[in-house]
Amino acid sequence: MKKIEAVVQPSRMESVKEALVELGIMGMTISEVRGHGRQKGHTEVYRGNEYTVDLLPKIKFEVVLPDAMLDTAIEAILRSAKTGKIGDGKIFVSNVEDAIRIRNLERGEKAI
Amino acid sequence: MASDKQVAGEGSDILGTLAPVYQAGSRRIHEQFERDHQPGGVLRERTHVVDRVVTALFSHLVAGGPGEPQGLCLAAVGGYGRRELHPCSDIDVTFVCANAAVETAYQESTAALLRALWDLGLRSSGGLRTLAECRTVLATDPEFAVALLDVRYLAGDPQLFGALHDRLLPEVIARERQSLVANLETLTRQRHQKYAGTIFHLEPNIKDAPGGLRDYHVARWLAEIAALDERGAWSAPESLWPQAFSSESRAAFAFLTATRCFLHYRRERDDNLLTYEMQDQAACEAVGSETRAPLTATEWMRAYFRHARRINALVARLLDETTRGRRSLSAVFEDWRTRLSNNDFSVIGGRVFPRRPAAAADAAVLLRLFEMVARHDLQPSAEAERWVADVLPRLTPTLNEFPEAALSLQEVLTSAHAAAALRAMHRLGVLTALVPEFCGIDALVTRDFYHRYTVDEHTFVAVQAVHELEKLKARKGSVSEGVDPGLARIEQRFAGLLAEIDRAELLYLALLLHDLGKGTSHANHVQGSVEIAQQVLARLGTSPDEDRTVLFLIAHHVDMSSTLLRRDILDPGTIREFAHKIGSVERLKLLTLLTYADIKAVNTEALTPWKADALWQLYVSTANDLARSLDDDRVSAGDAAADAFDIDATLTAGQPTDQPSELHGFLRGFPQRYLAVHAPGEILEHLEMARALEREPARMRLEREHAFWELTLVTRDRPLLFATVTGALASWGMSIVKAEAFANAQGIVLDVFAFQDLHRTLDLNPSEIARFEQDLMRALTGKLTLETLLSDATGKRVSLRPAKVTVATQLRFDDVSSKHSTLLELITADRPGLLFDVSYALARSGCNIEVALIDTEGQRVIDVFYLTAGGSKLTGSQQEMIRSQLVSLLTKPAGERPAAPVESRSAAGQVRAEPVP
Repeated sequence: MKKIEAVVQPSRMESVKEALVELGIMGMTISEVRGHGRQKGHTEVYRGNEYTVDLLPKIKFEVVLPDAMLDTAIEAILRSAKTGKIGDGKIFVSNVEDAIRIRNLERGEKAI
Repeated sequence: MASDKQVAGEGSDILGTLAPVYQAGSRRIHEQFERDHQPGGVLRERTHVVDRVVTALFSHLVAGGPGEPQGLCLAAVGGYGRRELHPCSDIDVTFVCANAAVETAYQESTAALLRALWDLGLRSSGGLRTLAECRTVLATDPEFAVALLDVRYLAGDPQLFGALHDRLLPEVIARERQSLVANLETLTRQRHQKYAGTIFHLEPNIKDAPGGLRDYHVARWLAEIAALDERGAWSAPESLWPQAFSSESRAAFAFLTATRCFLHYRRERDDNLLTYEMQDQAACEAVGSETRAPLTATEWMRAYFRHARRINALVARLLDETTRGRRSLSAVFEDWRTRLSNNDFSVIGGRVFPRRPAAAADAAVLLRLFEMVARHDLQPSAEAERWVADVLPRLTPTLNEFPEAALSLQEVLTSAHAAAALRAMHRLGVLTALVPEFCGIDALVTRDFYHRYTVDEHTFVAVQAVHELEKLKARKGSVSEGVDPGLARIEQRFAGLLAEIDRAELLYLALLLHDLGKGTSHANHVQGSVEIAQQVLARLGTSPDEDRTVLFLIAHHVDMSSTLLRRDILDPGTIREFAHKIGSVERLKLLTLLTYADIKAVNTEALTPWKADALWQLYVSTANDLARSLDDDRVSAGDAAADAFDIDATLTAGQPTDQPSELHGFLRGFPQRYLAVHAPGEILEHLEMARALEREPARMRLEREHAFWELTLVTRDRPLLFATVTGALASWGMSIVKAEAFANAQGIVLDVFAFQDLHRTLDLNPSEIARFEQDLMRALTGKLTLETLLSDATGKRVSLRPAKVTVATQLRFDDVSSKHSTLLELITADRPGLLFDVSYALARSGCNIEVALIDTEGQRVIDVFYLTAGGSKLTGSQQEMIRSQLVSLLTKPAGERPAAPVESRSAAGQVRAEPVP
């Protein structure tokens, strides 16, 4: 099993979610996060006060899925999250050792 | 006295006999419930079956024969005592004995009885107490005391039970009434606290949450305790409730018990949490509803919330009455709130009491009750609620046409405790009498695991959220416990924004009406809300100007959320588009606050620091865009906004201009902002003023607008115009709070100044108004020179507001935002005559003010000037020169200024006949 963590533009949340659901991926965790990569924040001066956003708002998806689905899922995220501008985000992939459904103790891929 | 039977060997026999009886009985009851969903049958039958088991065990394990043993009896308490055993309820009993000797003798056999119950699968608890112990424990243990309020004879010595039930309990309860009630109140409040004091939960606990079964029982106990004290006898407590509550509360009880039975059967344990899944199933099986037709979960939950609300109101009312009963008379008289009393109402102990008979009350008096509640954090007393119930039927047919309803509603909405007053109005039926359209969203559930509140409550919570901002502003940054400091910091900014709003009542009115469309069959609730709001506003008789703002806010109430969630708010294109849709920073502020409140009222966690920050960023970027795009974003020929406006103006104002093209010509070249901030009626008036310029040099209109005077001036553009007008105002000692100056393509200038009359010259001397207008006109026609104005203005420089805060002067030139002009953004401390000084200095430097937008926030002045020199943007050296002149001017004490201009008629001051795109 693999875990995908995808940090994307907030404006792409709906389309990424839809793309994953379309692949039959039902379970996902979505969080509002803030951060920056190479794209640093920006400063807006309003009425003499500086409002600096050094950590930009992003949306993080976490999805755990069988190895076989990894590539199609990544493609789906790339397709749906890309605007082509700076700040489109990143995708991280890692190995997952096990998964356990708390209700009935199912393990492994059955539990995801 | 019978001896303690040792029953170890016989126990299994009797269990062998009783277990099948109990199981068969339980199965039959369950099957019956699945057929008819009648909770009454379950509670009654199950009590009956358990009674049989318990008495059989008692006679087998404890007693020798019926009515025996002497000096010991077994009683059911709590829910079991009330004959309200739900399928998985605990079985609570108590053994009472005459004295300590009996207690010792039966210790073992009574414990064996409880063990036997557990062995049968009945969760049971109970203790053995002497009558004397009961007396002491009653006074000290409130939970035991309320359990005994439902005590019921099961077996054993009937005379002993009589001693407890008929003599001891009435006597002790009457004596300990005050502490019992106080304990009960504390227990109830603590329990409510665990549920955040609200009936609104996505997955409510139907027993313990506010408005649940426990509250129903608290209401029974309170009535029972009062009756035992006052009459010395037991009674049916429901019959003692206020009549308005009685039948509805019983219906609510039936609904909740049916639901609890259903939950117990489905979960097979004493689990009273109404989960999402259970809500679906209960709705599908129409649990608790009269007709057995399946309901949607939304409909079913709506019924749940209506019932819970009723029980919640009942217990609140009874707690309030009993608490008040405890207060000593002197404390009541010393209460500071008493001074709030007036001819119509007395205020005692934080409660409002009517002073007029219901028959003599009119709509104004009725609504004044809620104005008082909203203003002073009061509650209507029980008497007031009865009075409302008496008054309302007579007034309802005409209340929604009541001419002062709008004022009264505004008074309620803008007062600090508006939400409490609105809830009281809604509970008592006044709100729906005033705004019948509100019925559609009554207890309406938005079922998506995100919206915690029903739509009516969401509305009240949203109104409350804005008032909380007011309090936050007053607290000045001290963060209350449990609030995310990051969120608190951003909320402080929204609080600042609220302080800048001139007409907060329009924001509140929009909030009250924003979701009414959810109660209609409209596919798009926003459109539905707009249509209903139009109806309501027409009836309330608000002005067209007010309607425009309120309807705008309602029509766009989801736009800001959806922009920040679905669009890239760091993209200037998104901001431009959004700014264009909003039109003016005044509207943007209102919409930002409305969006803030709307998100905040979805659930307690909905406004994350992340969202709050994004909302603030969207506000700041859009506000900046609106301030910096005035010059480029002008009404042009064939402009869609202006076209739409033509039609709009003709319809709204009801005075069609026979030549729409004339109107169009007038509008052409004005910044789009002009269309956003002025109502159609006003624009037609401006057009009328412009027509007069063929005969007169200028037209002006002076009006008292709320806290300020407003001067609207229409004239042909000319050199030094802005400096001249600000100079004339300064010479009269007027302090300019807001101003805007625009020119259209025909070279007609429209200036609007909002100013404070610091010396109250115009307020106190109506005759001075004409002289003031004459002076302005003389200045405009050059009969009063700038030099004269200058010396006059210097003489009037008396600051009535000593500077409390120091404001650092900031100057910022911006060559990028506008295609034609250089923007100068100036932030500095306010002082009399400041705008005159600045515009005069700009004129001296050879600049022309194309557009000006002036605002003040407390003692901070925020000015945006669009400047040109010789028809072009300012060069770098011009900017430097202006910067140094303004800096030296603004750091100098007021009153000192450079000498009068020599080149006051120079070409540099000439207005550029600007080509309009």
